[in-house]
This record gives sequence, C-alpha cells and structure tokens, in this order.
Amino acid sequence: MLQGLLKRFTGQKNSKEEAKKRLQFSLIYDKLEVNDTTLTDLQNDIVDVISKYFEIDRDSLELKVKRDDDVSALVFNTPILHVKRKQA
Amino acid sequence: MEGKIIVVTSGKGGVGKTTATSSIGAALALEGKRVAIVDMDIGLRNLDVVMGLENRIVFNIVDVVQGRCKIDQAAIRDRRIDNLFLIPASQSDNKDVLTTSGVERVCNDLRKKFDYVLMDSPAGIEKGFQNSIVGANEALVVCTPDVSAVRDADRVIGLLYARSLEPRLIVNRIEPSRVERGEMLSHEDVMEVLSIELAGLVPMDEKVLISSNTGTPLVLQNESKAGQAFRRIAKRLNGETDVPIEIPTHKTSMWNKISKTFGLK
Repeated sequence: MLQGLLKRFTGQKNSKEEAKKRLQFSLIYDKLEVNDTTLTDLQNDIVDVISKYFEIDRDSLELKVKRDDDVSALVFNTPILHVKRKQA
Repeated sequence: MEGKIIVVTSGKGGVGKTTATSSIGAALALEGKRVAIVDMDIGLRNLDVVMGLENRIVFNIVDVVQGRCKIDQAAIRDRRIDNLFLIPASQSDNKDVLTTSGVERVCNDLRKKFDYVLMDSPAGIEKGFQNSIVGANEALVVCTPDVSAVRDADRVIGLLYARSLEPRLIVNRIEPSRVERGEMLSHEDVMEVLSIELAGLVPMDEKVLISSNTGTPLVLQNESKAGQAFRRIAKRLNGETDVPIEIPTHKTSMWNKISKTFGLK
C-alpha cells in the first residue's frame, strides 16, 4: 500500500504498462519490416486493382513505408493518365 | 483413428518449452492416451534428462528418419506412467541432418501408432523449427510474461499461421504477486498483444527445477501448482472443454485488498 501511495504521489507508472506499450509498437514495426518480394507483390496487387478504374503509369509509381515517431504509413504514389469508363 | 501431432514451440529459448512438452505429454498419458514425445532439438537434446530417461537411449529420431531403426525401437517407454514414450534427439548429429520430407513421412507413421505425438521444437525459427511443424495438426506456443518472449512468440505465431496452423498460447512462469504490483505483464496483457486463443496459464513454481533435478514427472506431484496447471491444459486438449482456465493467484493480504479498493495498485 505504501508503495502504491508513493507511486501515486511521484507519478511513477507501472513498469508493465511500459512493457505492454513498447511491445505493441515493436510488433507493428516488426511487421512493417517487410522484405522486397512482399513489397513487390503488394505493389502488383495494388496496381491491378487501380488499373480496373484508372489508367496509370506503371513505370513511375512508387510504394514506400513511411515511419514517424508513433505512426507508420504505406505511401503509394502514382500518376493517373486516364479514367477508365465503366462498360455497362 | 489416426492420432494428432501437436508441436510445442516458442521462438525464444528458456521459456519452459521442454517442461511444458514433457508435462503435457505425461498428463495426456495419465488421461489414458497413448503418447509419444519427440525431442526435435537435434544436437542439443534435453527431454531425456528432464524426463529421467537418459540412461535408456538406444536409438533416436535421426535413426528413425534415416531408416536405421523402427519407431518402436527408438521409443523409450516410461516405466512410471503407462502409455508414455519418448523418442529422443540425437546428440552427435548436426542440427541440419534431418530433411523436412523425411520428418513428414515419419510423422505420418507416428500418427498411426499414437493418440498424441508432441513435438518439442528447438528454439529459433530455422530448419529445426520447420521440421518440428511440418507434420503438426495443432500448435502450442509457450511464452513467459516478458518483452523478449512475447515478441518472439508473435513472430512464431505469424509463421504458424502461414502454415495454416492456429496456435494456442501457454503463458508460463506467471508470478501473481508481481502481476498484482504491476511489475509483470498479466496474461490479459500478453493475450491482447498477441491476439490468439489461450490454452492455459502456468504459475512460477519452484517444484519445476526440483522435478527436473531428479528426472521425475512434474504432473505426478499433487502439490505442484505448475504440474496441476499442465494437467488441466492436457485435459482441455483432450476434449474436456469444461475444465476452466485457472488464473494463478496468491494469497492477498488485508493491506493489498484495502489498497486495491482505493485504487492504489
């Protein structure tokens, strides 16, 4: 109980909370550390889907994993050449 | 009917895989099933000495896979528990001596001879691990409540899913008093981070070391909390789904109860 009081007054957090938070972040980062083949496969899949709707420049597109301090994002950059008309 | 092959794995070493495998295997045999425990840690065998069967080794799993002997010749019968067998690892071979296809073939034979076959995987995610999971029908992942074990467990869980296995988790060496003080991840924390189904919770228990010192089965000791936890895990594996997962606790003192009520813990 004394320990509890002390923690409350000093604002000291439980070490397990820190462990949990660090784990949750590191597991996400571990998974984003994807290898080249995965990234290429993903890129091809994305291109296939987008190509159903837009005509895109396959040569100038890029796919990146962007990391900030607490968020990660997949950034897919492609110029769109034409919008495809959907055929009825 | 064909038996089931269950791989016990962890990624990280030293989290209690061997204890878990031998205890769950022994407990399944106590349930009346015919059980083989296979030590897949080629070159660094340990199950034999933990189980107290080190003096009776004639052949090993490498001999079986390479066709030098039959399964029945390599399987050592435990004299204390009926229907419990150990197929030891080889101590002298290189760890990469087994081929995946060879192991797979032996797994098919093992399923015909036993109700349950427990594969004790080596630490790591290399070939020894791959060989341990190649014939598996089910998977158990053992982890302790610390950051390195949980992270490695996550990696292994990913690899098992990639092989269409849906692993279940055993959280080992839980220290309830430290969980209560906020010094140790609780099983809920671990499950939340890993998001997989639970197979069981095992408390830290001094009896584990003592039973390995003497090579006697932990599950035969009624006063061993870990031993009893493994027996319940085995019962659930064996289809007794009404056996509850017990959360390890320690005797709470009056002060702890009061301070908990006031939110000081």
